[in-house]
Amino acid sequence: MAAGGAGGSSKTYSFKVVLLGEGCVGKTSLVLRYCENKFNDKHITTLQASFLTKKLNIGGKRVNLAIWDTAGQERFHALGPIYYRDSNGAILVYDITDEDSFQKVKNWVKELRKMLGNEICLCIVGNKIDLDKERHVSVQDAEEYSESVGATHYHTSAKLNKGIEEVFLDLCKRMMEVAQADERSKGNGASQSGAARRGVQIVDDEPQTATGAGCCSSG
Amino acid sequence: MSRQREHRGIRVDRSELQCRKGCGYYGNAAWQGLCSKCYREEHQQARQRQIEEDWALAERLQREEEAAYASSKTASPRPSLAPLPQPEDRKSSTVTTVKKFFSPSLRTTPPRKESLGAHPTPSSSRPPGSATDRATRDFIDFLRPLQKLGQEVYQQSQTFTESAARKQTRSPEELSEGVQDFYQSLSDRLLSHFKGSTDSVERVMEQVEKYVMTRLHKAALCPVTAEDKRKDLALRRRIQDLHWVSVEMLCAPVDEEVAEVSDCVVKAITDLMEMDSRCVPSEKLTCVTRCSKRIIHAVKVTKRQPASADDFLPALIYTVLRSNPPRLQSNIQHITRFCHPSRLMKGEDGYYFTNLCCAVTFIEKMDAQSLNMSAEEFEWHMSGQPSPGKSAPAPAPGPEPGAGQRRAGPAGGAEPAAGPAAGRGP
Repeated sequence: MAAGGAGGSSKTYSFKVVLLGEGCVGKTSLVLRYCENKFNDKHITTLQASFLTKKLNIGGKRVNLAIWDTAGQERFHALGPIYYRDSNGAILVYDITDEDSFQKVKNWVKELRKMLGNEICLCIVGNKIDLDKERHVSVQDAEEYSESVGATHYHTSAKLNKGIEEVFLDLCKRMMEVAQADERSKGNGASQSGAARRGVQIVDDEPQTATGAGCCSSG
Repeated sequence: MSRQREHRGIRVDRSELQCRKGCGYYGNAAWQGLCSKCYREEHQQARQRQIEEDWALAERLQREEEAAYASSKTASPRPSLAPLPQPEDRKSSTVTTVKKFFSPSLRTTPPRKESLGAHPTPSSSRPPGSATDRATRDFIDFLRPLQKLGQEVYQQSQTFTESAARKQTRSPEELSEGVQDFYQSLSDRLLSHFKGSTDSVERVMEQVEKYVMTRLHKAALCPVTAEDKRKDLALRRRIQDLHWVSVEMLCAPVDEEVAEVSDCVVKAITDLMEMDSRCVPSEKLTCVTRCSKRIIHAVKVTKRQPASADDFLPALIYTVLRSNPPRLQSNIQHITRFCHPSRLMKGEDGYYFTNLCCAVTFIEKMDAQSLNMSAEEFEWHMSGQPSPGKSAPAPAPGPEPGAGQRRAGPAGGAEPAAGPAAGRGP
């Protein structure tokens, strides 16, 4: 229970975001563009694009993002749950010129919802809009599908640096909302917020919090 | 008892619940009917005195232990290959069982060599508990700048380890639960002290974990269960059976023709094996991270672009197959059970550790399909017979798993053996 100063504006959020997508959809370019602002560049300094972090400041709140790339090959598909355990958000990338990669996204969404429920915020991203002439996934289909599964949909181009900031910003904001809602519901169970509830009815199923408070004060 | 009443769900008058001092906040029976703030004010001074006394006592004991250690060291310099003291003893016995099952192999030597090399004095010649002393000293040194908070953290950690040591009979799961509960309550406390700065909390928690786990380890409280041993052996056998899997089959972008790359791979293998010689979860984790970074470097040199997960995971699988690290499953279990969760879940170390777990799972479940080959071919390889379709004969399953026989052939950026799943990276 984060008593005292926590919960105020000084709190730093840290979020884990997994990046899912088939091999050639441009996941790597997307994160490298976001974190290093580079695309197919000789001067990319980072050794790796598999684990990247980014510090953000959203509305005065500090956010630490840890972006976990996942192996997208079909043969590693079964390992998904190990990767996205405990993640706060997922970015699912498909290539707008590749219908198959969109189907893969659908599979992942199904799995994510099954394993993590509605706690996880989803962003579906159609990448490579610079190749719009070769588009094989219609905008309408993608947007309708995203809405139906409670995900937001974005179009990006890592090559032209379009729409990428927005993806992460939107995802962060939604993850913060979830975290705040979480905090509030946790706070209600704790003794701290007792003052907010006048004439408390203490019910039987709260011994957990009672012992918790006792242990904090004595230990 | 007021708590009893609460449990029955009786409606309590508000004034009864409020702080005795009448500040308007709610009181708590555990705090003699005061609210947290008033209680803290009332008891701060007594508590402070107590803490300072304890701290002084701890330091005095520390000095005494150091003095005793120094004198014992000069008095009885035992030969460096003397029988290992208790905790190490358990380990070496496991090593011999492993040896029995898998004929002589160099795999069992590195841990020993490592522990000798890591410390100025050979671990076997030191009196048992000197590592604990050092851990205690480091811990106190780290906590000193934190003053009052440091004392509190030290006390809590000590109380916890002592109480854990008293309950010798616990199963690893119970112990793990206890440790995790302790981490949780302490980090909550720290979080409120640092006003939500998770970085500072994690810095302290890392040291707490190191201290607590060193002490618990020395008390031989983290035994390897029979179940863990069984899994270790199963995985070791499995990896031996898969000795024929090559970089090409895994589509791992690791070109060992390049000296720099093969050098990285060899070092990564050493790092992975070193994990077993470390007793503290965070140090084990550091080995995994170091190994992973070397692999990433190898991939980067091979592909001339930053390594993505699509490249890294197959390369890691390849490294695990080649190194066949001792007691891999128990080490993974140990980290999962006793590591501070925030490090495991969010940080870079956690990422590499997760990948290692993925690699192990993949190895356990590996079949013909996951290597893009026919079921017959997979069976041929597994049976240890020379495979008909291949030019290089598969060596009979020997003590040297994953040896380099089948690594010939360039595995550059444009993998020759690449199957349909090889497409990666833009």
